Amino acid sequence: MSTDGTILAQKIRKSFGPKTVLKDINLQIASGEICCIIGPSGSGKSTILRCINGLETVDSGVLKVNGEDFGYYETDTAYHALPPKKLAQQRTRVGMVFQSFNLFPNMTAQENIMSGPVLVKGQDKKQSMKQAHELLASVGLARFGDYYPAQLSGGQQQRVAIARSLAMDPEIMLFDEPTSALDPEKVGEVLAVMKQLAKKGMTMVVVTHEMGFAREVADSLIFMDDGYVIERGDAREVLTNPKEARTQAFLEQVL
Amino acid sequence: MVTATSKESKATMGSIDAALKPRIRLRTPKEYAGWVLSILVGIGILTSVLTNPNFKWGVVAQYFTHESILRGLMLTIFLTVASMTLGTLLGLGLAIMRSSHVKPVSIAANIYITLFRGTPVLVQLIFWFNISALYPNLSIGIPFTNIGTAIDMNALMAPITAALVGLTLNEAAYMAEIIRGGFSSVGKGQIEAADSLGMSSGTRMRKVIIPQAMPSIIPATGNQVIGMFKGTSLVSVLGVAELLQSAQLIYARTYETIPLLLVACLWYLVMTLLLSYPQSKLEQKYSRATSRLPRKAKKVVLTDPEGNLR
Repeated sequence: MSTDGTILAQKIRKSFGPKTVLKDINLQIASGEICCIIGPSGSGKSTILRCINGLETVDSGVLKVNGEDFGYYETDTAYHALPPKKLAQQRTRVGMVFQSFNLFPNMTAQENIMSGPVLVKGQDKKQSMKQAHELLASVGLARFGDYYPAQLSGGQQQRVAIARSLAMDPEIMLFDEPTSALDPEKVGEVLAVMKQLAKKGMTMVVVTHEMGFAREVADSLIFMDDGYVIERGDAREVLTNPKEARTQAFLEQVL
Repeated sequence: MVTATSKESKATMGSIDAALKPRIRLRTPKEYAGWVLSILVGIGILTSVLTNPNFKWGVVAQYFTHESILRGLMLTIFLTVASMTLGTLLGLGLAIMRSSHVKPVSIAANIYITLFRGTPVLVQLIFWFNISALYPNLSIGIPFTNIGTAIDMNALMAPITAALVGLTLNEAAYMAEIIRGGFSSVGKGQIEAADSLGMSSGTRMRKVIIPQAMPSIIPATGNQVIGMFKGTSLVSVLGVAELLQSAQLIYARTYETIPLLLVACLWYLVMTLLLSYPQSKLEQKYSRATSRLPRKAKKVVLTDPEGNLR
């Protein structure tokens, strides 16, 4: 499998009924880049993330993930939707971590992590079990493999969810407000796992309200408001020295 | 502390430490009246049932294990199991069709459910029994060719076939709604998580949606089984010798109507009570995912070196 890990978006538009949530979004994220997306709620930051993983389809514009048109193939006149198998195959290369974890409650932590490799890739069970053990250890939950999600704290669940996405060995990891549903004291353990991940050179796009994380870990920062990318640049530069008035106003509120 | 407060309120209130005294529930006169009334009514009914010779308990006992009654019971059990199994499978198909985003497919399932839930089972049973009036011959073959054979519908729709078809098709409509209700109880996030891992819709259904829908499907299905068990008595109108019909055949000869109806009732009651046991077992099994205890680990570890929480 080619290791690309790039995301390219040009003139992306997306509306839900009468409400246009993405208006002319342009993005370019390089392989191995850690990109944080910040902005007020309703700015479209979660929606763009969901588009990159095909949970939402874009109305128009160019969206290339891992160097390929995502979910569609291009002809001279139009973009045609890919058959489900092809789309699923593209999705396996993009991991997604949700705000509400979305672990499968009917499976143990270990079974959750094995679900992708075994049920989707048809990987050998023993090998997947070994991989699940290693992943659990890497997120600091080596002894929790037999626990059901309901028996884990929010922070532990989110770490299992990260491990589950990693088990698919994706080129890109997307995080949709991964710490927003957590108790303040559990936020740190999830961010620690993400920081560790960032060192491994995987492309990461993180929608977050954790400015500290953005400052410390992110390469680039995107500020979105009302369906537009207002400002984008080096993370520390934007956070300390925002150019746009709207960014300044937002950062004054949150910092 | 304790002595200080008790001294403040009242110094002498018996020898037991006030903090250890039991707390006694208030019993109102209404509660006593309820007791007395229920017991009186109970005794009244019981004496009437036991002393009225027309109940003929001897006859009830005599026919309770009569061969034709037991044969009827077996047929009733067979009809229940068969039509529940087939009905559930068909219902699952209908539920999947109904949640399809291909409009004609979901509309077709919807029409089926509306028709079969909106008409009485009894009427449906008689309808299937008389289907040969509508379609005298059933031909099986490849459409638009001469290949195939015709089957006489009258011979095919024997009473028991009509009973099975009628009960199954009716049950499917109810099961479809129960299963669909179960599906919709599974959160949107679960579907998104499965999709983001690249699961096919079939895998998603089998491994994520159905296991999570089970806790809400099982209790309702248990009710359906019990309902179906008693509902099979309707097929007696087709002349199928199930439990009720077997009883009817006997009292048509002996005129011991009430005792034989009691025999049938007692069997329905016994079977219903027996059925509620596996239902509760199944409920326990499928609620495992939400139970607080780990499957393998015997007790919850509260502190640990790696997890550092809980």
